Amino acid sequence: MKIRAITLNNVRRFTAPARVDAIGDGLNVLCEPNEHGKSTLFDSIQAAFFKPYGSRDQEVRSLRPHAGGAPEVTVELEIDAGRFMITKRWLQKPAATVHRDGTLIAQADAAEAWIADALGGDAGGPSGLIWVRQGVTRLTGGSPKEEQAALDARRDLMTSVGEEVEAMTGGRRMDAALARCRAELEIYATGKNRAPRKNGPWKEAQEEVESLEARREALAATAQDLHESLAARKRARRDLRGWEAPDAVEDRRTKLAAARAAHAAAERHAEKVETATRALEMAQLTADNARARRDSFREALAERAAAAEKVSAADTEAADKRAAQDEARQRRDAAARKLEEAQAALKAAERARALALRARTARDGAARRKEFEDRIARAEGARREMETAAAAARTGPDAATLRRIEALAAAHTAAIAAREATAAQVVAHYDAGRDGTIRADGTALADGQPLPLPRATRLTIEGIGQLEIRPGEAGQNDRSVEDAAAALAKALAAVGAEDLSGARAGTDARADAERRHSEAKAVLASLAPDGIDRLREALAAIPQLDEVVDAPDPDTAEAAFDAARAAHEAARLASDTATERLSDLRNDATRADTTLASLRDRLKRAEEALAKGGDTSEADLAATADAAAVALEAARAAHAEATKDAPDLVSTQAALSRAESVETRAQEEIARLKPQLAQLDERIRRSSGEAVEEQLAETEQELETARARLDRIEHEVAVLVRLEQALEAARAEARERYFEPIAKELKPLLHLLWPDAELTWREDTLLPDALIRDGREEPISILSGGTQEQVALLVRLAFARMLGQAGRTTPVILDDALIFTDDDRIERMFDALHRQAGDLQIIVLTCRQRAFRELGGKALRLSTAAELEAPG
Amino acid sequence: MALRFIHASDLHIGRKFSNIPEPPDGNVRGRLMEARHGAIGKLAAAARAHGAGHILLAGDTFDTATPSPSVIRQALAAMKDAADVTWWLLPGNHDNLRDAEPLWDQIGRDAPANVVALTEARPHDLGESACLLPCPVAFRAGASDPSEPLVNMDSDADKLRIGLAHGGVTDFTESGDAIAPDRDRTARLDYLALGDWHGRMSVSDRVQYSGTPEQDRFKHGRRGVCLAVSLEGPGATPQVTEVETGTFLWSDVALLLHARQDAAAALTAVLPDGGRRDILLRVTASGWAALPDQVELRRAAEACAPDFAHFDLVTGALGTQYDSTDLDAIDRGGALRLAARGLMDEAGSETLSRHQRDVAADALARLYAYVRESEA
Repeated sequence: MKIRAITLNNVRRFTAPARVDAIGDGLNVLCEPNEHGKSTLFDSIQAAFFKPYGSRDQEVRSLRPHAGGAPEVTVELEIDAGRFMITKRWLQKPAATVHRDGTLIAQADAAEAWIADALGGDAGGPSGLIWVRQGVTRLTGGSPKEEQAALDARRDLMTSVGEEVEAMTGGRRMDAALARCRAELEIYATGKNRAPRKNGPWKEAQEEVESLEARREALAATAQDLHESLAARKRARRDLRGWEAPDAVEDRRTKLAAARAAHAAAERHAEKVETATRALEMAQLTADNARARRDSFREALAERAAAAEKVSAADTEAADKRAAQDEARQRRDAAARKLEEAQAALKAAERARALALRARTARDGAARRKEFEDRIARAEGARREMETAAAAARTGPDAATLRRIEALAAAHTAAIAAREATAAQVVAHYDAGRDGTIRADGTALADGQPLPLPRATRLTIEGIGQLEIRPGEAGQNDRSVEDAAAALAKALAAVGAEDLSGARAGTDARADAERRHSEAKAVLASLAPDGIDRLREALAAIPQLDEVVDAPDPDTAEAAFDAARAAHEAARLASDTATERLSDLRNDATRADTTLASLRDRLKRAEEALAKGGDTSEADLAATADAAAVALEAARAAHAEATKDAPDLVSTQAALSRAESVETRAQEEIARLKPQLAQLDERIRRSSGEAVEEQLAETEQELETARARLDRIEHEVAVLVRLEQALEAARAEARERYFEPIAKELKPLLHLLWPDAELTWREDTLLPDALIRDGREEPISILSGGTQEQVALLVRLAFARMLGQAGRTTPVILDDALIFTDDDRIERMFDALHRQAGDLQIIVLTCRQRAFRELGGKALRLSTAAELEAPG
Repeated sequence: MALRFIHASDLHIGRKFSNIPEPPDGNVRGRLMEARHGAIGKLAAAARAHGAGHILLAGDTFDTATPSPSVIRQALAAMKDAADVTWWLLPGNHDNLRDAEPLWDQIGRDAPANVVALTEARPHDLGESACLLPCPVAFRAGASDPSEPLVNMDSDADKLRIGLAHGGVTDFTESGDAIAPDRDRTARLDYLALGDWHGRMSVSDRVQYSGTPEQDRFKHGRRGVCLAVSLEGPGATPQVTEVETGTFLWSDVALLLHARQDAAAALTAVLPDGGRRDILLRVTASGWAALPDQVELRRAAEACAPDFAHFDLVTGALGTQYDSTDLDAIDRGGALRLAARGLMDEAGSETLSRHQRDVAADALARLYAYVRESEA
């Protein structure tokens, strides 16, 4: 929506029509001195959009001129659907109309609805946010009243921002709903986990359910006990009737009497059987004794005869054994003597053999010592040769030295050859017979033989004198020959040789010495691989024995020893055999003596047994045994007769015990059941008297009610918790939605004033909380009035842009919105206004003509009636 | 001369009604208990009104196996007061012979002369012309037809055979414990007085359930009755007359709502005009109602509830019809609108459990109420 023109009629000082028109798209500025109607214009726009034509409130009445009349405002605006004109008149003949191209399209309430729709539906929200009413007319100072008015103006500015924020996040309605929800929840639950509050209705409902459940369980147990008692009493009554029934009592009595009588008869018969049994046992014992005595007598007679016969035989055998033992002893003694003789012979043979062996050892030791002594002597010789050869090898030049000397000699020779090749030569051509008369250095020159003259040379010509020849320049090369000669001489001197031949001889001598050294070394290694000292040690280890005189031949002595040892072994074997034989025979004799003694004792015992019977004969004992056997048979017959029809005493005893136990049990059961019945009667009477079933039914009903109540409370808590969660989550989301876009929109505006500045926001009030500049955070409340209004205006501009992006484009109307801002910063605020004016319509009303001269934008004029009517 | 008697059952004397909420300023439970005791006097009055000398109580005279001594003594005293009639008390499943042995022992000891406890399945003379054939319930969960002994129960050939039994006539479990509907024919009965069902039901001309004389649940939709029975002679069709004896009406009213309907007015329309003090009313709302309508419905219910002995508005089956105006009433935008929108979506989500949907719907309704009340 964009405002294109505003016309006032009968509004405060404008008793005649006044108009602002040609309002452009971007930044528009109406700059008029005070008292020229800017605030009136602002209030009129507010009223046109937000005061119903039927309103008569204070704000509407304040629009009326002193002279009275009906204030009327017409606003021409442009929206997506086209250009429209809205007109409102208040107080007298109030009316609201909307025209399009001169055609009335809505009036009265329909016109109000149209206006609300054009605004985007909200009742003043956007305009409240971005239309800034004039606050005060002065910056600071003045009367206290004026100071307060300035403060109120700032508050108004901030509050209008805050209210819009509240609208977006629920604001006080949200706070009220959340507070109400939490207050109701607090009645039931406490803590973060929403646990039941102590003594609260939820906790009480839980405790009531638990209490009733416990009570129901207890009553159910009591009821169950009652049911069981009733069943037990029924069983006890039935059992007692069974035990005490007359028929049952008589039956038990009859059976007990019969059992007792049967058992007494059985006991009496048992005594008779016992007597017969004892008589039988006595007869059996008597017969057994008589028969035993008879048999023992007969056995003793037989034993005596047998023992006498065996004693005689044993006596003979013992005598034989002793004779054999004596003979064997004699043979053993003879063998022992022969063994002693053999042992003496063996010892003599051993001595002879030892003597022979010692003599051989002495001989062998002397030969070995000789051998070692020879080896040591030869090894010593080889070692000395090695030392001699080594010394010789160190004197002559080695092969390398010889090669160097030979090289020096060759160089010397070459130097000489070179000198002579370039030197002047003299050739003697003798006359006949004059050969050898010319001499050089004492040597006669051969005829026709050129003699080089590398240096000044005097030739002695026999008989003539001397001829000195000076070679001139050629003689200058003589130095190299001397150097070569000096080097050669030095090398030869170093090896002690006079010339090259001497050196070569020295080298040959050195090679010969090295060869001899190697040979001596090989000989020494062969003779003493481990060193000469080891040979000496081996020599010292060979024993030195005195030579044995008259020693036998070792082989003969060995043969004699073997023969003596065989003879000794044979004698020892014979002696052992004889000794063993003697031992066996001695044992045989002992056993024969023992057997004889035993048999003699046996004979003695048999005779003593027979002696015990005195004069009793075998016939007497036989007669006595026969009589006892007859008595035994008689006793058996009597016992059989007694046991033939005897009653079973155990059975009669068992029958009696059973009959008695039946009776005893009957009495015990009766004694038990009667008090039990009394107890059950009392228990049943008490339980039924307490109306346990009735209480149980009542408790179950109460429990059902309590559970239903608990269910309702738990549902209530769940509802409240869910509502609290939903409200908190929605508010958090709204905050998120709010903060992010506004911060994004605000950022470039803030940076026009303060590079890198940003705002922080309070979560509770959702208002700017602090301004961060240069890394410092300053609460809004301590900022200067100018900075606070700048922040507020930038926030408004950001909101206006956001609303426009949301399709709710609304003009920004600022009525002296920058009254505290200094000249320096106001220009940057102008930049901010221009920046936002790109896609917003901004209408600035100001009285600060000089300050706002730099604002730019399209200038507006408020034309009065006279001006409107003026021609042109 | 015709035999006249009163057939009733299921007095359930001593029932506490602890499941009925007791209002802070009321005594509905006491009144309900007292009404059950008062049924004795109403039955006696019905007997007198119909010239009946006998009142046959077909089981469950007492609510539990062990009523409190005062309940027993006062019931017997009230029966004694009606000295012109004979009370025939049959043990039912609630006061069966096994569990309620002390009860029947006490009745045997303390009962006045005009009260007969029928604790054995044997014939009793019912005057000179009829024979009463009782089938007392031995224990609570019987596994056989409790009226089966009637088949072999002898009586004088020229007397009317009146059977008295307690149990269901429909075997829902096929366990064989239901009373055979043709028991009158198989047992040669002129009338079979049955108890156990609290509603009135006629199985056949001769087989009747009287129902309880004082209702105790929202099921039958009418006050309790007893039956005044007249038998002209053996083989004659019984003349059965219902006599209303109930004090309280237990009424369950369905309230079907639809969106854009005035729910409060719809509730008012289904409420009874008079006698509300003796009416226990349960209104079960179903269908759909918008949030404002639900608020108004609850307010209307709260307003009329004190008129009744008991009033219960059940809204579990009532869906919430949301529209944009409801959400606008909470807020047109911002966080409150966001929260309301989320709760509404949750309430209608098919992926959530019924419980979660209910919680969300109630949370939304609560939010609506908070906002409305804060603006009121």
